[in-house]
Amino acid sequence: MTTLEGTVKKSSMGSGTWMLTAVDGKNYEIHKGAPAELLVNGQKVRVTGAIRHDVMTMAMIGPVFEVHSFEVMS
Amino acid sequence: MKRVLFVVLFVVGVLFALSTVSGLANRGVYDSIVIDFREDLLPGQLDQALGAIAQQFKVQPQLNSIFSQADHLYILPGDAHTLKALRRSALKQSTESISPNYIYQAFEVPNDPEYGKQWNMRSINVESAWDETHGNGVTVAVIDTGISQVPDLNESKLVAGYDFVNDREDATDDNGHGTHVAGTIAQSTNNSFGVAGIAYEATLMPLKVLSQSGGGTVADIAEAVRYAADHGAGVINLSLGGGGDADVLREAIDYAYSKGVVIVAAAGNSSDSSAAFPARYPNVISVAALGPSGAKAPYSNFGAGVDISAPGGFMGEDENPLGGILQNTIDPETGESVFRAFQGTSMAAPHVAGVAALVKAVGIEEPEAIAAVLKQSARKIPDDDLNHYGAGQLDAAAAVKLALKGQITVRDFFRWLQQNGYLNLRFWIDGGVVALPPKLAMVLGSYLLAFLLRNYLPWFSFSLSSGLVMGSTGLFFLKGFYIFDLPHYPFRLMGSSIPELGSAIQGSAALHPVFASVLIPFGLVALFLGHRSLKWFAVGATLGVAACLAISAVIDPTMMWLGNGAIARLFLGVNALLCLGLATLAAKAAYNSEVGRA
Repeated sequence: MTTLEGTVKKSSMGSGTWMLTAVDGKNYEIHKGAPAELLVNGQKVRVTGAIRHDVMTMAMIGPVFEVHSFEVMS
Repeated sequence: MKRVLFVVLFVVGVLFALSTVSGLANRGVYDSIVIDFREDLLPGQLDQALGAIAQQFKVQPQLNSIFSQADHLYILPGDAHTLKALRRSALKQSTESISPNYIYQAFEVPNDPEYGKQWNMRSINVESAWDETHGNGVTVAVIDTGISQVPDLNESKLVAGYDFVNDREDATDDNGHGTHVAGTIAQSTNNSFGVAGIAYEATLMPLKVLSQSGGGTVADIAEAVRYAADHGAGVINLSLGGGGDADVLREAIDYAYSKGVVIVAAAGNSSDSSAAFPARYPNVISVAALGPSGAKAPYSNFGAGVDISAPGGFMGEDENPLGGILQNTIDPETGESVFRAFQGTSMAAPHVAGVAALVKAVGIEEPEAIAAVLKQSARKIPDDDLNHYGAGQLDAAAAVKLALKGQITVRDFFRWLQQNGYLNLRFWIDGGVVALPPKLAMVLGSYLLAFLLRNYLPWFSFSLSSGLVMGSTGLFFLKGFYIFDLPHYPFRLMGSSIPELGSAIQGSAALHPVFASVLIPFGLVALFLGHRSLKWFAVGATLGVAACLAISAVIDPTMMWLGNGAIARLFLGVNALLCLGLATLAAKAAYNSEVGRA
């Protein structure tokens, strides 16, 4: 289980996807099935989940992160 | 009789060729006439001539441009009638030439109305490549989110695919990405609608491995790669990546590669200094993305594993669609057709896949050879220390030209002709198209064989001689005969010997096993042995084929399906012997029937 802090952003790569830019600047692609409340452009969050090494995507912006839970940070 | 037959066949061939092409009838359009006055005319004489034209034709000739003054080059509106009248008039004395001012059109600029927004097509030089091929006959598997046949894919060819996400045969797109990628490869082009695609006569194979959200598992992707290889794909496009090294995918890619499939993948969009999987696998052509300026797009991966670069677009912070790659796709929200600009190495890969299809369509088969052509023909970027560009920027025209080197096309001859000033506007003969020594050896060989059977054969028989020639070499000099704007295959057919007929239309040097065997001689003997003079043609053709096959077995045994090794040599050698045996039997039988009749 991994916990990341960062900002949720809409990415315009390919046909578009959601990503999390971590505080260290690294980008993660948010795996499908994440709660809609998480996917708000510019929202700062702390997410817990796992990197999916068996998934490839058309956006290819970084590791695919499957979110299990999240909390919005003020 | 036979002479008449040959002449008739020749004329039919030429007439057929003429009837299939409008080339000669359509010699150009013009709505003005260009008059080149003699340069030694004095200003007064020139003014007088111009005045005479103005008076007679009620038009005022104009200088063609500000540079025309010294050359005395004038233009006036007019048609064929005006041209004729001018040429007949006394003015002709004062001119160097009076000619139609033909309107030239650049070749192959498509009529798709939004083509002007496709900077990417011009940056890969695709228009010149279209002069040679549109990718017909090559199947490109798009392993992606599926393909929806949007209006601008109406004329594009699709074969059945598979949806590995939902495990069903219908591989319709529910995301928009796959349809966009497919559009770059083979958008319906020259259909007066929307935009263009690169290899627009290629066939698309939709394989859905990415879900509506744009992600998918390596298991599904690997299965799709194998499916493509097993179902006739010549090129695979993988605009996807990420994850890690997966044995199942690497093995699938090696399998497809071993079956002769070219595999192209996007390098990835994380600005990392190495290509993502699967692009970094050795048997995959990994593509970095270029922005409209031709520089690497900031998001594109680079460095390790990047083989080549192609337009992927860069829309910047303000998401300017003009910087992206425009294709017809679906709006995932509504499912409706939209023209949308995307950016990413996802968009760059299908440019390379499309050009790979063009290269394959002009006859390069092996994936390593196609990769070599793409890389060698790419525009090199000097001082690319970080390997932003791989071998360089994709160049479709240079790739197709490089692929055609060594293969002689009609167009090459035209080009050579124009460059060498050998221009005859109707036809042209190339003396160097056929290697002469083997042909001479075949003709002499067939006569040598005939000499062995001299006791049974009538010498100086036109029938026998034409049989010997048709069997051994054909009227091979006709292979070098061209009529402008006409297809060349009638001449290839007429210039082929019987064993070469099986591959004459496609212009392959490889012999077809059915034609390059004892079968046709056997048929000729069976048909004509009872005929008074044609039997000598049959005997001659059989001897000729024997000589052709024997010489081919020794010096160039290349055959379709049988390769050019021991099997092909054995096949040709055995058939040459069978032909010789058949000719001996037939010659004796024919001789005996003559003697019996006498």
